[in-house]
Amino acid sequence: MNEVITSNQQKCDQALAALHHVIDPEIGLNIVDLGLLYQIDFDEDNKIIFVTMTLTTQFCPMGDSIRSNAGKAMQHAFPEYAIDIELVFDPPWSQQRISEQGRQFLNH
Amino acid sequence: MVVTTNNLVQNTTHKVVIPFYVYGAVSFLAATILLFVSGNAFTQHYFHPRTLAITHTMALGWGTMIILGASHQLVPVLIEAKLFSNALAYASFVLAGIGIPLLVYSFFQFQLNWVAQTGAILINAAIVCYLINLAVSISKSKSENVHAVFVFTASAWLLVTTLIGLLLVFNFTKDILPQDSVHYLSLHAHIGIVGWFLLLVVGVGSRLIPMFLISKYDNRKQLWLIYFLVNGALISFIVLFLSAVNSVLYVIPAAAVLLALILFGNFCYKAYHQRIRKQVDEQVKISLLSVVMMLLPVIFLLVLIVLLVFSFANTNLALAYGFSIFFGWLTAIILGMTFKTLPFIVWNKVYHNKAGMGKTPNPKDLFNAGVFNKMGLAYLAGFCLFIGGIMWSNIIVLQIASTLLLITAALYNFNVVKMLLHKAVIK
Repeated sequence: MNEVITSNQQKCDQALAALHHVIDPEIGLNIVDLGLLYQIDFDEDNKIIFVTMTLTTQFCPMGDSIRSNAGKAMQHAFPEYAIDIELVFDPPWSQQRISEQGRQFLNH
Repeated sequence: MVVTTNNLVQNTTHKVVIPFYVYGAVSFLAATILLFVSGNAFTQHYFHPRTLAITHTMALGWGTMIILGASHQLVPVLIEAKLFSNALAYASFVLAGIGIPLLVYSFFQFQLNWVAQTGAILINAAIVCYLINLAVSISKSKSENVHAVFVFTASAWLLVTTLIGLLLVFNFTKDILPQDSVHYLSLHAHIGIVGWFLLLVVGVGSRLIPMFLISKYDNRKQLWLIYFLVNGALISFIVLFLSAVNSVLYVIPAAAVLLALILFGNFCYKAYHQRIRKQVDEQVKISLLSVVMMLLPVIFLLVLIVLLVFSFANTNLALAYGFSIFFGWLTAIILGMTFKTLPFIVWNKVYHNKAGMGKTPNPKDLFNAGVFNKMGLAYLAGFCLFIGGIMWSNIIVLQIASTLLLITAALYNFNVVKMLLHKAVIK
C-alpha cells in the first residue's frame, strides 16, 4: 500500500480504516487502495485533521462527491475534530499509487 | 465540520445538460420511426424528402443535441474553468429545440417555405449562443488544452455548416447562390460531418477514452497532427469544391481524413493497451467499436470518388455512405458514451447531498445492463442489415433492419428514462 504521510500513525490507521469505505463510484475501488490519499495531519491543539488527497484525473466528474464522502467518513470517525480536505493535483496521481489489493481488484 | 479547499473544476448543473439528452433520445426514436415508415426512400436518390428529414433528425436532433448537452458538461472540465453562462446554454436548447422540428417537418413535406427558413434561423441562433458561451468560457481559462481547441474549432465548423444550410434553405425560394441547393449539398454535409462531428469526437474521445480505461497514455503531438490533417482536409475540400476541379483531386482530402482516422485509431489502441483496468465495460466497447466503424464511410467515400472519376454515379453507395456516418459511427459512439456520461450526471444529481449516509449504488447500476446489451445487439444487426438492404435495394431487408433499429431506439429510451427517474437508494 502507498505511504500516506502523517503526524500520528495510530490515528492515521484509524482514518484510513474510515476512508476505506469511500468508493470511487466509477472504478468501484476505495480511495485508500486507489492511492488517492497523500497526507493526513492531526492538529491536536486546534482539533483539526488536514487531509490532502488527489483524484485519478482533474477532470473527474465524481470529484466533488468523492471529496464530500471522504469528509463525512472522517467526520464520522473523528467527531471531535474539524476536517479540512484539500484536493491537490501536484504531484498527479499515477497508476503506481494503486495498492496490491487494488490491482487485484482491477485485474479481476 | 468539514472544510474543503475548492480547487476542483465546477461541474455544470444537470438542469442544463439533461434536457439535451432527453431531446436527443426522443429524436433518435423519431428518426427510427421515420426510417421504419420510409424504407422505400432508401432505394431512390439521396435527395429525397424523407431521406433529408431523417438525416436532419439524426444530425441535428440526435447527434448535435446530445453532443451540445455533453459538451456543456465536459468543456468546463476540459478547459478547467466554469461554463460562462447557463442562460446561454438554455437559450441554445430552446432555439435549437424549436428550430429542428420546423426544419425536419419542412423537409418531410418538402415545402421549404417560411417554416423551414424560421427553423434554420433558430438553429443558427442556437449555435451562435453555444459558440459565444464556449468562446467566453475558454477565454477565461488559464490553461491551454488541445482537447478544448478541438471542441472550439469543431463548433466554429458547426456554425459554418448551419450558415450554409440557412443559405441553401433560402436558395430554394430565392436565387441567392449561383447554382441550385442540391449542388451545394456535399459541401454542407462534409463540413458538418468532418468539421463538426469528426473533430469533436476526436477531441473529446481522446480525453474520455483513456480516462474511462484508466490509461495514462497521452500523445499531444499525435493529436495536433490529427487536428491539422482534419482541418487541412476540410479546407482543401472546400477549395476544390469551389474551384470545381477534377473529381480525382478529392482523393487528397479523403486520404488526409483516412490518415487522421488511422492515427486516432492508433491513439485509442495504445490507450486500450496501456489501460490499468483490465475489464472493459460494454459502453466503452461500443465506443471503441465506433472508432473502427469510422473507417467504413471513408472506404465508401474512396470507392465513390473512384467511380466518379470514371463517371459512374452510384446512388446506393452514396446512401450507404451517409447512413454509415449517421446511423453507424455517430450513433455507435453516442449509444456507448450516453451510458458513460448520463449515469454520472444523474448520480451526481441524486447522491451529491447524500455523501456518507450509507452505501449508494454505482453510476453503472442506474440503467439496466441487460437492456443495454440487447440494445447493442439489435443495433449491430439492424445497422449491418440496413447497409445490405441499401446496397441490394431490397425493401424486405430494409424493413427488417429498420424494425431492429426502432427496437434499438426504444431500448435506448427505456434506459434513459430509467436513469432519469432514478430515486435515491441508500443501504
